[in-house]
Amino acid sequence: MLARVLVSGLVIGCIYGLIALGYSLIYRASGLMNFCQGDILTIGAFLGYTFYAMLKLPFAVAFILTIVLEIALGMLLERAVIRRLLGKKVDGTYIVLATIAVSYMLQNGAILGWGTRIFYFPPIFSVLSVRVFDINIQSEAAFCIVASVILMIVLHIFVKYTAYGTAMRASAMDAKAAKACGVDPAMTIALTWGISAAIGGLCGMLIGPVYGVFITLGAAIGRKGFAGAVIGGFGNMYGALLGGALLGIIETVTTAYVSSIYKDVVSYGLLLVFLLIKPTGIFNERAIAD
Amino acid sequence: MADKLNLKTKSVSGPTAAILLLVALAIPPFLSAINLNYGILICCFVLLYVVAVSGLDVVFGYSGQISLGHAAYFAIGAYGSIMLHKYFGVTIVFSMLIASAVATIIGIVIAYPASRLRFHFLSLSTIAFGEIVYQLVLQSPSAVTGNSLGIFTEPISFFGFKLDTYTRFYYYGLAVMVISLILKNNLINSKTGRALIAIRENAHAADGAGINVTRHKVIAFAVSTFYCAYAGAMYAHLVRFISPDTFMFRQSVLFLTMLLFGGTGSLLGPVIGAFSVTLLNEALRVAEKYQMFIYGTLMLLVIIALPGGIYGSLKRLLNRFKRKEAR
Repeated sequence: MLARVLVSGLVIGCIYGLIALGYSLIYRASGLMNFCQGDILTIGAFLGYTFYAMLKLPFAVAFILTIVLEIALGMLLERAVIRRLLGKKVDGTYIVLATIAVSYMLQNGAILGWGTRIFYFPPIFSVLSVRVFDINIQSEAAFCIVASVILMIVLHIFVKYTAYGTAMRASAMDAKAAKACGVDPAMTIALTWGISAAIGGLCGMLIGPVYGVFITLGAAIGRKGFAGAVIGGFGNMYGALLGGALLGIIETVTTAYVSSIYKDVVSYGLLLVFLLIKPTGIFNERAIAD
Repeated sequence: MADKLNLKTKSVSGPTAAILLLVALAIPPFLSAINLNYGILICCFVLLYVVAVSGLDVVFGYSGQISLGHAAYFAIGAYGSIMLHKYFGVTIVFSMLIASAVATIIGIVIAYPASRLRFHFLSLSTIAFGEIVYQLVLQSPSAVTGNSLGIFTEPISFFGFKLDTYTRFYYYGLAVMVISLILKNNLINSKTGRALIAIRENAHAADGAGINVTRHKVIAFAVSTFYCAYAGAMYAHLVRFISPDTFMFRQSVLFLTMLLFGGTGSLLGPVIGAFSVTLLNEALRVAEKYQMFIYGTLMLLVIIALPGGIYGSLKRLLNRFKRKEAR
């Protein structure tokens, strides 16, 4: 029983972790928070469903198409909204509200496009479940965990060892100095939003087959991603993953052993307690301090 | 933003206030004359939203702290008042005040440790609190809040005089709104108000000038929670039925949208904001399933095009005219 609970906790925990990772990237690159990440996830799930189940494309093709479209969406959002507002030097609240407005547009745009019913992915794999350590895991759930881990490694390599990744880290550390070294901060910020949106879309493709695809799929995941990011230490990539995974497991354990009623209260309670008592999170990330 | 450093608060001049009040007094007879009873209900909503948004203005417009969770205090006021009346038999006028006081105490307890959080993290903590309250009213122990089915209540009554028509509630709401605006004006023009503005402009400098930053941030938060909770209680006894979906994240965003649309740091801003956003939402009802999509789009367009809000933009326009005349 416990093993099964831990696995399903890890499935949603990986998603929280990836979403939190997207937040951390954006926060490091531009000091902003993105309140529409959850709905970007929803759009990703719907796009994936459309390509795979409706247009009957092979899964890998649907996967890649979704991610390409999501990168475009993220970069469009940065170009059309974020950069324009930053150029006007408006109060940060306007940027927060602008991303919330975009989240309304995405969520309700999805209602106009796909309606309000739940869609279930047809099975992706010919085997329905895999057996690990004596427990059966739904193939899609196993895929979600494996793909998340692979994505984390890919992102780590990208950020640490590629020219783009170095440019991103450099302009996050000191935008002026990075500019002097020939890095274009505007480009790296646009890239960060693109990557973050791609992560969102990918999460949608991973969690959609497990949970089903519906309009509010991403909204709660997006907000809980913040909890994961804060628990790990906001702005810290590895903290985000750890915090997300921990949150997923705590939530699932609460549901299994206490009551599903208190699941969300526990998650948001953790977020609140961490913010009020230890805002720098487990990794003691200083990005948050003055 | 040249006027941002202007520490003198813009009060409404006497004649303007008198004209506005006369117009406000004439609205219900006018609307009932053209047989638009529903219109009076909408105006009642506007009045209580003005109270809530004015409270939010104290915390955001004056002390510069963001909140994306004021729906929680709106909920505590609404549910608190109903439950005090239903389970403890408290008279409704008092239950509204007690519930608002409870919300204020909770607000202070949260605001004290939260006051050292910076902008985005403060907004996250308010979101978290908002979600917790929402979940608790949605899934309360032994369903004391009626959970997802909602809960019914009675209208406000003053010694047997029931505010059971929209017109009656409207005049009561107007009185509450005027009183709350006067109190807010007094607060803003007091020493505390000037301290809040100093904190908004530069917290370090305010600290250096001997202002207790934490204490004043908590005061601002406490005032806003009382306003919001009282508005929530008004909502509950106006509609006489509440359910959790009125108190979601969306409601907190609505308050902030009204404030930013109307304009922050002013007396009239929340009035303009509450009025225009409520009317807009009602007008969009015609579009049914496109309602929220259009709302989001308009919100985004206004944020990009008019970052000073309607009030701020009007004022800038007026200033431009004045400057032209002076030449």
